[in-house]
Amino acid sequence: MDVHAAHNAVTAAAPAFSSRPEDIAWFILLLPLLAAAGITLIVRRSNFLAATFSIAATVTAFVLSFVLFLMFGVGDAAAVTSPFAWLHAGELAVNLGVTVDKLSTLMLLVVTGVSALVQVYSVGYMHGDRSFPRFFIGLSLFTFSMLGIVLADNFVMMFLFWELVGVSSWLLIGFWYEKESAADAAKKAFLTNRLGDFGFLLGIIIIWAAAGTVNFAELSQKLGAHPDLLGSLASVAGLLVFMGAMGKSAQFPLHVWLPDAMEGPTPVSALIHAATMVAAGVYMLCRVFFLYQVETAWPAALAFFGSISALDIIGGIGAFTALLAALMAIQQNDIKRILAYSTLSQLGYMVMAVGCGGPDAAMYHLTTHAGFKALLFLGAGSVIHACHHEQDIWKMGGLRKLMPKTFLTFALGTAALAGLPPLSGFYSKDAVLLAALDNGHPVLFGLGVLIAAMTTFYMLRLVLVAFLGSGRSEAAGHAHESPGAMTWPLVILAVPSVMLAWVPLGDYLTHHFFTDHGHVHGHGSEVISFGATISAAFGLVNHILFEPFNHAPLPAFLGTGALIIGAWIAVTLYWNAERDPLPKLLGSFARGMRNRFYFDEIYEAIFIPLHDLVARLADWFDRWVVGGLAVRGAHGSTELLGRALRIVQSGNLQTYTFFFVAGVALVVLIALK
Amino acid sequence: MSPLTSLLLTPFLGALLIAIVPGNYRVVHRALALFTGLLMLLQALVIFAGFQGGGTGLQFEQFAEWIPSVGLNYHVGVDGLNVGLVLMAAIVSFAAICAAWEVERQVKLFYLLLLLTTGGAIGAFISLDLFFLYFFNELALVPTFLMIGIWGRGEQRNYATFQITLYLTLGALVALTGLIALYVTSGVNTLDVVALKAVLAEKPLAESAQKLIFPLLLLGFGTLVGLWPFHSWAAPGYAAAPTPTAMMHAGVLKKVGLYVLIRVAWPFMPVGVQEWLPALALLCLGNILYCGWVAMRQRDLALLLGNSSLAHMGFCFLGLASLSVVGITGVVLIMAAHGLLAALSFALNGYLHTRCGTTDMDKLGGLLRQMPFIGTAIVMAFMAGCGLPGFANFPGELSVMFGAWKTLPWFVVAAAWGGLVIGGVYMLRAIRAVVHGPAKADFNHVGDANYWRRLPFLVLLAALIWFGIRPDSLATSIQPVVAEIVKSAAPTQPTPAPAAVAATH
Repeated sequence: MDVHAAHNAVTAAAPAFSSRPEDIAWFILLLPLLAAAGITLIVRRSNFLAATFSIAATVTAFVLSFVLFLMFGVGDAAAVTSPFAWLHAGELAVNLGVTVDKLSTLMLLVVTGVSALVQVYSVGYMHGDRSFPRFFIGLSLFTFSMLGIVLADNFVMMFLFWELVGVSSWLLIGFWYEKESAADAAKKAFLTNRLGDFGFLLGIIIIWAAAGTVNFAELSQKLGAHPDLLGSLASVAGLLVFMGAMGKSAQFPLHVWLPDAMEGPTPVSALIHAATMVAAGVYMLCRVFFLYQVETAWPAALAFFGSISALDIIGGIGAFTALLAALMAIQQNDIKRILAYSTLSQLGYMVMAVGCGGPDAAMYHLTTHAGFKALLFLGAGSVIHACHHEQDIWKMGGLRKLMPKTFLTFALGTAALAGLPPLSGFYSKDAVLLAALDNGHPVLFGLGVLIAAMTTFYMLRLVLVAFLGSGRSEAAGHAHESPGAMTWPLVILAVPSVMLAWVPLGDYLTHHFFTDHGHVHGHGSEVISFGATISAAFGLVNHILFEPFNHAPLPAFLGTGALIIGAWIAVTLYWNAERDPLPKLLGSFARGMRNRFYFDEIYEAIFIPLHDLVARLADWFDRWVVGGLAVRGAHGSTELLGRALRIVQSGNLQTYTFFFVAGVALVVLIALK
Repeated sequence: MSPLTSLLLTPFLGALLIAIVPGNYRVVHRALALFTGLLMLLQALVIFAGFQGGGTGLQFEQFAEWIPSVGLNYHVGVDGLNVGLVLMAAIVSFAAICAAWEVERQVKLFYLLLLLTTGGAIGAFISLDLFFLYFFNELALVPTFLMIGIWGRGEQRNYATFQITLYLTLGALVALTGLIALYVTSGVNTLDVVALKAVLAEKPLAESAQKLIFPLLLLGFGTLVGLWPFHSWAAPGYAAAPTPTAMMHAGVLKKVGLYVLIRVAWPFMPVGVQEWLPALALLCLGNILYCGWVAMRQRDLALLLGNSSLAHMGFCFLGLASLSVVGITGVVLIMAAHGLLAALSFALNGYLHTRCGTTDMDKLGGLLRQMPFIGTAIVMAFMAGCGLPGFANFPGELSVMFGAWKTLPWFVVAAAWGGLVIGGVYMLRAIRAVVHGPAKADFNHVGDANYWRRLPFLVLLAALIWFGIRPDSLATSIQPVVAEIVKSAAPTQPTPAPAAVAATH
C-alpha cells in the first residue's frame, strides 16, 4: 500500500485527532501509566488481568505510535508540541509538553514495539513467579517513564522522566529484592546513574541561566541565532549534559552498573539494557545535538583544552568504552554478561558516532541494535529458562538441536550484530564508520573497524560454545524449546533484524538532522522521497542492499573484512572446544579482561571509602565536638551558673543588701558614663 | 468570622472537650481527637480551594483590637506565602492524630497536648501580629517538650529532652529579643506585619538597627529550624520523640522559623540581609553537606531521617541566600513538601518502632515481603527524600538550585551533589537495609498496616504526589508574594514583574 495513501486514510479515520495529533502523543504517554495504576488499584491479585492490562496498553501505544509515525515521520506534517503549565516561579517557566517529529516518532516505535514484545515474552518467562502482577506494574511504569524521555520537549521534563526511568529500572533490576545480589545491583545502578544526573542537572541549570529557557525548540532557535549565547561555559555545559548520557548509556567511567544489572529478570535485561534505558542517553544526545553545534569555548581554568570540542571528548569516551567493553566481553562466561558487555560496546559505538558529528548514524545504529539486541537477550532468556537457570556457556552446548527456534533466531541476531550484509546491523555499523571517516576522525574509524572484528569474535564464541558441540551438563542435555509466548517474540524480533536494512532508515534520519536545518551532511547522500524508496526497496533490492559498497566502499569493505577475520579466529579457537583456550594464550591479560580490568574493585577501594571517610569524619565531629563539647559544655556551664546562683540565694540578708547596693552602683555608673 | 479563626478555634475546642471527658473513656478521647483533626483538614482544604492565587493581597483576613495602647491586636489572614503552609499543617496534624492511636499510656493527656501543638502551629502560620505568632509558636513547642519527656523512647530520652528544650528555648529567647528590638526601633508601636510593612516602606529601619536585629532573628529562628551549627538537638530529639510529636515537630513546627524569616527578616531588613548572606550561604553548606554526611553514617533509621531532614533545611537556607524570586519560591515549595515528607517518614519510622521493636537498620531487613504496604510507602517516602520527581520536594529543590545559580554557582554545585548523590546514597542504603534483602523470621508475626490505619500514610502520600505533579497549584500563589519580598529585600536588583515574565515565555 502506498504510504501516503495510508497516511491519508489514517487522518480520515481519526477525525477527532486530526486537528490535534499531539493529543495522540499524550495518550500514548499516559497509556502505560494508566495500566500501572489500573493493575495497582484494581487487578493486583490476578496474574492474567495484570498481564492483559499491561500488554493491551503497550500494544495500543504501539499502534498509535505507528499512526503518528505515518503522520509525522513519513508524512510532511511539521513538528508540533503541546505544553501545559507545570512550574512557574519568577524567571523559571517549565511546561510539560510533547514533541512529535521524525526523531521522536521513530523512537516511540522502538520503545513501544520492544516493550510490547518483552511483555508478551514475560508472560512465559515469569510464569509462576509469586509477584507476577508486580512485574507488570514495573514494566508499565518503566515504559511510561521511557516514553516521557522520548516525548519531552524541554530539559526539565526530560530530567524528570530521566529520574523516573532511573527509579523504575531500580524497581525492575531489584525485582527479586530478597536476593542480596539483586538488591545490591539495583542500588548500584541507581547510584551510578545519580552521579551522571548530577552533571546533567548542572548542565541544564547553566543552559537555563544563559539562555533563559529550557525548551528545546526555543533553545535551538536561540543558539542558531547566537552561537556564542552560552559564553565561555558552552563546552562545559555540553559535557555536563553528556554526563547524564554517560550514566544512562553506561559510558566509561560510569559503565560499572550495567553488567551487574543483569541480576534482574532476563526480560528486564532485554527491555532496559538493550533497547530503551541505555539508549536514552544516545537519544538525548541526538535530541539536543544543537547544543554541540555551537562554537567551542572553555572557561579560563580549562583553556588548555584549546580547540578540542565537547564533541571530540564525547567521541573519544565513546570509542574507549566500545573498545574496553569489547575486550571485557571476550573473556566472560555468563551468557547474559557477554551480551551486557556487548551492549556497552555498541553503546560506545553510538556515542562515538554522535561525537563524530553523526547523530543520524547513532540513531540508525540505536534502532537496529534495539531490535537484534532485544532478540539476543530474549534468546538468552529462553536458553536460561530451558537450562534451569544455568547461565555459564561452558555448561551448555549442543542446544542447536534441542531448541531450534531459539537457535535460529539467536544466530540471526548474532549475524546482525556482527554486521553481516545484508542484515540491518551491517548498514547501521557502516553508517557509524562512515560518519567517523567523513568527518575527519581516522583514529576512531580504525578503532571502529577493530571493534567490529572483536564483536564478531565474542559473539561467535558464544554461539559456538553454547549452541554447537555437545551438551556439557545435565541441564543442557535435558533442555527443551520454550513455550510459544517466548518463541513468538523471538520470531517477530527477527524480522526487523533483517528487514530494517531494507527501508531507507539512514536517509530518513539524515533528513531529520541535517536537511531540515538547511545543513548538508558530510557524505551528501540524496534524500529520496519515501514513497519512491518503498517501491525501490521491493523493485530494486539490489540497489539498496549493495548501496554501501558502491558509494563508500572503504568502510563497507573494511567492515566486512573485520567480520571475516573475527569469525575466522573464533571458529579456529572455539569449534568443538571443551574449554576456553584464550587464558592460556593471553595469560594475565585474559584474567584482566575476565575481571573487567578491576574497575569495580578500584572504585570500591578508592572512591566509596573516600566518601565514607568524609562521612565518618562529619559524624565524629557531630558526636564529639558539636554534640559533646558544645552541648555538654552548655549543659555544664548552665549547671555551674545554677550552683553560682545557689550561693547567691543564700537567704542571708547581708549578702542581698550587698548585691543590691553593688547593682545600684553599677547602674549609676553606666548611666553617668 | 473568618474561616481562619474557626480553623484556629477547632483544635482548642477539641482539646477542651477532651479535657471534660473523664480519663477512662479512652475511645471517646481518640474519637474526639480524630474528629477534630478531620474537621481541621476539611476547613483547611476549603480555605485552600477558596484562595484566589496570583495576587499579593491578604485573604480571609480578620482584625480585632485587643490592647490598642501597645498595638496588640488579633489579626489573621493568608496570602500566597502561608496558604499552602496552613494546608500542610492541617494535613500533617490530621495524620499525626491518626498516628497517635499507638499511644497507650495517659491517652487523654497526650491528645490534649497534641491538639494544643496543632492549634499552636495553625495559629503561628495565620497570625499577622508577630506577638501572636510568637505566642502560638511557643504554645506549640512547649507541649512537644513534655511529650518527648513523658512518652519518649530510647535510652537517650532524658538527654534528648534536655537538649531540645535548652536549644529551642534559647533560640526562641534570642528571636524574641530580636522581635522586641524591632518593636522598639521601628517606632510603629505595633508588631502587626501589615502595619510594619506600610511604615517601613516609607521609613526603613536604621542601618545600625538592621545590622543588630537581623542576626538575632536569623540565629534565633534559625536554631528553631536547625541551622548548622545549632542543629544537634534535632536528630536525637526526633529519635526520642513519640511518633505524632516527631511528625508535628519535624513537619510543621520547624517551618515556622523559616516562615518568620521570609515574612519579617528578609523584607524589613535589606541591609542586614546583604550583610549576612555570605555567612548564611556558608552555614547552609553545613546543613546540606555536613548533615548529609552525618546521615550516611547513621545505623539508626530515626537518626538518619533526622539528619536528612536537616539536610533538606539546608536547601531552604540556600534558597533564602539566593535572594531571587525563583529561589525563595522554591524555599516555600520545599517548606510545604518537606512538612508532608518529614511527617510521612517519621510516621513510618514510628510504625517500625512500635511493630518491629527497633529502628536499628542492622536488625531490620526484608520487610517488603512481610509488610508490602508499609514497605512500599517506605520506598516512596525515601525516594521522595532523595529528590525523585513526581513528589513535591523535587520542584522545590529544583527551583532553589535554578534560583541560586546566578549568585552562588559553587554552592549550587555542592547542593546538587548533596541532594542527588549524598541523599541518594543514604536513602538507597536505608531502603536496601530496611525493606530489601531476605525476609527475617523475627518479623513474621509483624503485621502490615490495615484498613483505616493506612489512612495517615495515604493522605500524606497523596498530598506529596499532588504537589509533585502540580507544583503550580502552590507556586502561582507563592510567586507574587515572594516577588514583592525580594523587591524590598534587594532594592538595588530590580526583578522583572511577573506579567512581563509570563509574556516572554
